[in-house]
Amino acid sequence: MTIREEIIRKIGEGVLVLDGATGTELQARGMPEGVCPELWCLENATCIESVHRDYLAAGSDIIYTCTFGANRFKLAQYGASSVGRINEDLCRLAKSVAGERALVAGDIGPTGRFVEPFGDVGFDEAVEVFQEQARGLIQGGADILVIETMIDIQEARAALIAVRELSDIFTIVTMTFESSGRTLGGTDPVSALVTLQSLGADAVGCNCSAGPDGMIPLIRAMQPYATVPLVAKPNAGLPRLSQGKTFFDMGPDDFSAYAHEFAASGVQLIGGCCGTTPAHIQALRLKTAALSPGSSRRQSIKALSSPRKTVILGEQSPLVIIGERINPTGKKDLQQELLEGRMSLVRTFAREQTSRGAEILDVNVGMPGIDEVSTIRKVVCDLALFTDAPLSIDSALPEAIEAALRVYPGRALINSISGEEEKLVPLLRIAKKYGAMFILLPLAGRNLPKTSRERISTVSSIFETAQDYGFTRDDIVVDALTLAVSADPSAALETLNTTRWCAQEFGSSTVLGLSNVSFGLPSRIWINAAFVAMAVSHGLTLAIANPLSDEFMNIKRAADVLTGRDIGARSYIARFGSKGASAPGRQQPANEASPGQEVYEAILEGNRDDIAARIDRALQQGITPQALVNEHMIPAIEEVGERYDKKIYFLPQLIASAEAMKRGFEHLEPHMKEGELLQAKKGKIILATVKGDIHDIGKNIVALMLKNHGFDVVDLGKDVAHEVLLDAIRRYHPDIVGLSALMTTTMVNMKETIERVRDAGLACSFMVGGAVVTKAYAESIGARYAKDGVDAVRVAESLVG
Amino acid sequence: MKLFRIPSRSLGMIDAGAPVFFRTIAVAVPRKEIYARLGFRAGHTLIQPEHREMVESYIDEARGFVELKGSAILLNVARIEEDSIVLSGGDMFVSSQLARMASGCSSLLLMGATAGSRIMEEIRRDTSIGHITRGVVLDAAASEMTDGALDWIMGYVNQDLRRRAKRLTRRRYSAGYGDFALENQRVIYELLRLGEIGVSITGEYLLIPEKSVTAIAGVRTSVA
Repeated sequence: MTIREEIIRKIGEGVLVLDGATGTELQARGMPEGVCPELWCLENATCIESVHRDYLAAGSDIIYTCTFGANRFKLAQYGASSVGRINEDLCRLAKSVAGERALVAGDIGPTGRFVEPFGDVGFDEAVEVFQEQARGLIQGGADILVIETMIDIQEARAALIAVRELSDIFTIVTMTFESSGRTLGGTDPVSALVTLQSLGADAVGCNCSAGPDGMIPLIRAMQPYATVPLVAKPNAGLPRLSQGKTFFDMGPDDFSAYAHEFAASGVQLIGGCCGTTPAHIQALRLKTAALSPGSSRRQSIKALSSPRKTVILGEQSPLVIIGERINPTGKKDLQQELLEGRMSLVRTFAREQTSRGAEILDVNVGMPGIDEVSTIRKVVCDLALFTDAPLSIDSALPEAIEAALRVYPGRALINSISGEEEKLVPLLRIAKKYGAMFILLPLAGRNLPKTSRERISTVSSIFETAQDYGFTRDDIVVDALTLAVSADPSAALETLNTTRWCAQEFGSSTVLGLSNVSFGLPSRIWINAAFVAMAVSHGLTLAIANPLSDEFMNIKRAADVLTGRDIGARSYIARFGSKGASAPGRQQPANEASPGQEVYEAILEGNRDDIAARIDRALQQGITPQALVNEHMIPAIEEVGERYDKKIYFLPQLIASAEAMKRGFEHLEPHMKEGELLQAKKGKIILATVKGDIHDIGKNIVALMLKNHGFDVVDLGKDVAHEVLLDAIRRYHPDIVGLSALMTTTMVNMKETIERVRDAGLACSFMVGGAVVTKAYAESIGARYAKDGVDAVRVAESLVG
Repeated sequence: MKLFRIPSRSLGMIDAGAPVFFRTIAVAVPRKEIYARLGFRAGHTLIQPEHREMVESYIDEARGFVELKGSAILLNVARIEEDSIVLSGGDMFVSSQLARMASGCSSLLLMGATAGSRIMEEIRRDTSIGHITRGVVLDAAASEMTDGALDWIMGYVNQDLRRRAKRLTRRRYSAGYGDFALENQRVIYELLRLGEIGVSITGEYLLIPEKSVTAIAGVRTSVA
């Protein structure tokens, strides 16, 4: 029996006990603060030997080597460079203490640096750094490798890939989570699990993070999705100081009391992290002795992950949309951007699609003249930062697919693998190495299989080969092939029959590129929408589509309800429930309000798009511009101000209403007579953010509000020099000058500005505001204070009388 | 033969005597904080679905423009007096409130973060074309995400400190607040070498891009 088989057997027999803390234990036994623990242990071998020995005596089945920080980056801080030798020696030391009594896990901790795309360490450089360490540990006789205390999923991936490229040694990966339930990098426990187990981790879990009570919810979150044993190594509570000494607040009994709960949550390897001692492990050993192995785990899972989100696939869940728009075909702007290495449109397409319901994003950068390998790598890195949606890697080049999968910090979907002889095995190997799911395209020869029978036969044949590489039905998504009904009337039915077979008999997920079905027909959206409804009823799991099409997405949502896949119509109600008027066709006004009332409502609602049309309707009904302003628009914006004052509205609502009002004024202005325009102006105001200050968003809000209330506003901008302001006052003769400043250092320029104006003998009132400005300060410099845009209108009105 | 030397200070990567730079900081979008900054009061503010959709889409857009970077350094404290802190390197911060926060701390964490210039260009563009609603939401999102980057830096450092039974004070303090004068920003800026992540400082001690922030936290050996 190999060591690997022995470990798996032991895990099947009961809960294995790991060791406890090394760092705090070494400190307690005399390791001075500030030294490199690994190097100190080599010089003081008896100390680390005693730690190992005590954990063995306490009942540890597996002890960790003292090599947590023995990587190139951390050792270099202490002037050490022989990484392989240090790891090998410390591993041999642990092995000599453990003998036959326990297994030794070679410990790999984080480098302290962040790996691309989250940091400046290149991914391949990180892999090399971890390989250097792992090689030493394996050389030293490690039975297991453990990658622990990872806060960055990409660093954990780099370490795991490093190990897997060296050996199939049993490898544990544990991440550290914040009190928010996510790692510092934002990864949730399920996404970490899905990514790492698919990448080849033999056991996954948490260490450090918190005490046992804080860790149990993290483990519970992982349990339903775990295909590998779960691991927990919590701290002994939190560090506290008493009489000059630090201690952790949880003793052995309290700590071990959680053993049963951990085991019930699926934990099969348990130990302790910071603050735990041999006494904690002994107590844990006693509590776990009687525990039987946890309930059976699932063998595989249909799930895709990003660094921050997991999408679980299932025929009983709503249809998952793969957004198809990150593809340069037919998009000249995107082509240009990709050639120049810019990512602006990629981010825009990602955001637009996810906000409209895409849960996965397809990424295709194939076009003439582009370096597809480096471009797709760059796009994938960028999307890993800017979208939560898992990715589908779409390329005809295996090397582009591999480049993308290697650097993607999640479990991606390959689009696609067919029976094409020269690509099938290389792509299956790539998919396996990086733990990707893949779209199985039932194409084997030159001819497109037209009937469902032919497609089913090809699916079965390709899957047989995939099984040789360890894939299960859960790892694949069958593309049932969508062909144009304009060319073959039975095309859609053959696709649907294939879809049904996959869902009901074969047991795999399915995907369709739906829009092909309508090729060659007019008004294609209706064919596409009908087809998606039919495909959903046949069990389709995913669709590659443009989620920006409302018709398509709404029919999909309706189909999910009608097939019972949107339980309780929750998603449908979330989308439409609050709107009421969601029927197709032109929306009608919700009530029979008068035209003037409609203008009033437009401002109240901040409806910038409709206000011009509503004003036109009111004018056609004979309402004069002056009456519209005085009886509807001004009362509306005053009501908005009141709602803002009472906090019923918040800032975006206030501004949206102000912008609607402004647009209304602009639309109305050509209809007003000269005299009416003058009448509308209450006074002239110059606004400026004072010299030295560059924060002007607040001043811009004030300008908008004042204009809407009939003031003639001259906005001089930000960082305005005294001379510029003096010139403007001489030129415009304002009633009021409004000054803003955000910082204490620039606020003083308000006083100087006012003094300069007074010295120049210019007459006007002053109004000031800004984050650090107070009423008392304003009064001390001879100005009125306005706390916000609404208040500024009140102050200005009182100043002009 | 000695295998190694013991450095005078060694609190891991963050304490190598020079600032550690974080070229990419990925934080979850702090939606609750962004809404709060915009004046949203749960249970009080009535927001129409269209407005929520609008605000959400602007926040999502902000995420595409904000490029968080940061820098941090741990510095030993020589002494803390009633109204000042003197660092081992000789720099001094005068502030009784900061001194109170750092009471009992043997070192300080100085940190800085920036949202970068792209988001500021976008806000300026919005303002110039009169699309202030979007500008206001982008502004609030950038502020809160930059603040989130400081939370992230503190989390990162705490991970390292935890293994030595230490932790940061829960609170942090920024120049320009209370009696900690904004003028201190210059020293903090230089210690953090923020110029290396594209941040500059004006004669009035303002950081550019505008959505850049610095702060100080203390290192405690007990739970605050």
